[in-house]
Amino acid sequence: MTWRFLAVVAAALALAGPAAACAHPHTSLSFLEGQVMCPTCHTTLDQSDSQAAEQIKTYIAQRIAACWTAQRIETALVANYGQAILAEPSHSGFDLLAWWLPIAGVLGGALILALAVWRWSHGRDDEPPTTAASGLDEETERKLDDLLAEMD
Amino acid sequence: MTGRAKLIGQVAALACVAGLLALLVWKLTHQQHAPPVGSQAPMFSLPLLDPGPDPTGDDVSLSAFRGRGVVLNFWASWCIPCKSEAPVLEKYYLRYGRRVTFLGIDYHDLASDARTFVDAHGLKFPMLADGSGDVTSSYGISQVPETYVLNASGKIVAHLAGPISSSEFASAFRAALKEVS
Repeated sequence: MTWRFLAVVAAALALAGPAAACAHPHTSLSFLEGQVMCPTCHTTLDQSDSQAAEQIKTYIAQRIAACWTAQRIETALVANYGQAILAEPSHSGFDLLAWWLPIAGVLGGALILALAVWRWSHGRDDEPPTTAASGLDEETERKLDDLLAEMD
Repeated sequence: MTGRAKLIGQVAALACVAGLLALLVWKLTHQQHAPPVGSQAPMFSLPLLDPGPDPTGDDVSLSAFRGRGVVLNFWASWCIPCKSEAPVLEKYYLRYGRRVTFLGIDYHDLASDARTFVDAHGLKFPMLADGSGDVTSSYGISQVPETYVLNASGKIVAHLAGPISSSEFASAFRAALKEVS
C-alpha cells in the first residue's frame, strides 16, 4: 500500500514538475510556432504536422515549461539548425537588406510616382492650347467658318 | 515627361525585368540534384554529433577517408523508417567496419534527440551533425533515410533512396559493400 502511494506521488510530481518550475511562462507555443520554420517542409511550425515539426514543437514546449524566454529558445534553435530555422531574417549584417530593401522599394516607387504626377500636371499647364474650345484644331475651325460663311 | 526621362524609366524597368529573369535562371540552375552513381561524391566537413570532452575539436572531413570505401547514411531521430534501419546498419558496421568507413549524417535534427537515438540503438560508428541540412541538400536528399556507398577514390558506387533494411535495397547495399571493401 505504501509503495503504491509513493508511486502515485512520484508520478504526480513528475507530471506537475514542469508546470511548477515555471508559474509564469515568458512566451507561448502558439507565438513561437509562427516564428520558427519546419526545416523539412519550409513552412512555419503552425502550418506543419510533419515529424520534424512535431519534434521542434515538443522541444519548444519543454523549454517554455522550463521558463525559457522566446529569445533563448530561438538562440538554441539557431545553434542547432542555423539561421534558416527562423521565419524572419535577423536584424544585423546581410539580413538587414531583407528589411530595408522593401522599404526602399516602396519609397522609391512613391518618389517616381510623385515625380511623374508633378511633371504631368505641370506639363498640362505649360502646354499651349492646340485645339479650340469646340475641340477642333485651328485649321479645321477656320475651314468650317469659311464654309458656314459661304452658306450664309 | 521629357524623352530622356522616359528613356531612363524604360531602361530601369528593363533592367528590373532582366534582374528577375537572371534570378529565376540562377535558381533553376542551382537546384540540388542527387549526384549520379559514378560521379565524385560532394566533399564536406561536419562536426561530430557527440564531440566528447573537447567540443572545440575539428570537423570531420570526407576527404580524410580517401583510400577507403565509405558508407554515408543520412538519417534523423524523427524519421520512423530510420528506427528499423538502425540495427541493420549497425550489423553491417560490425561486419565491414574494419575495411569500410561508416559515417552517419544526422539531418535537420535536435542534437539531444539524435544522441538519445544513437544510444537507444547502440550505434557505434561516427555520427556527424548536419543541423542546417546543407550537406544533405548537396546530396540531393529531401527525405531520410538514404545511403550512399563510395569507393576508395570517392566515386559513388551506389545510392539507396530508402532504408537499407528493406528488401528493395538490402541486396544492392550488400553488393556495394562487397565492391568497396
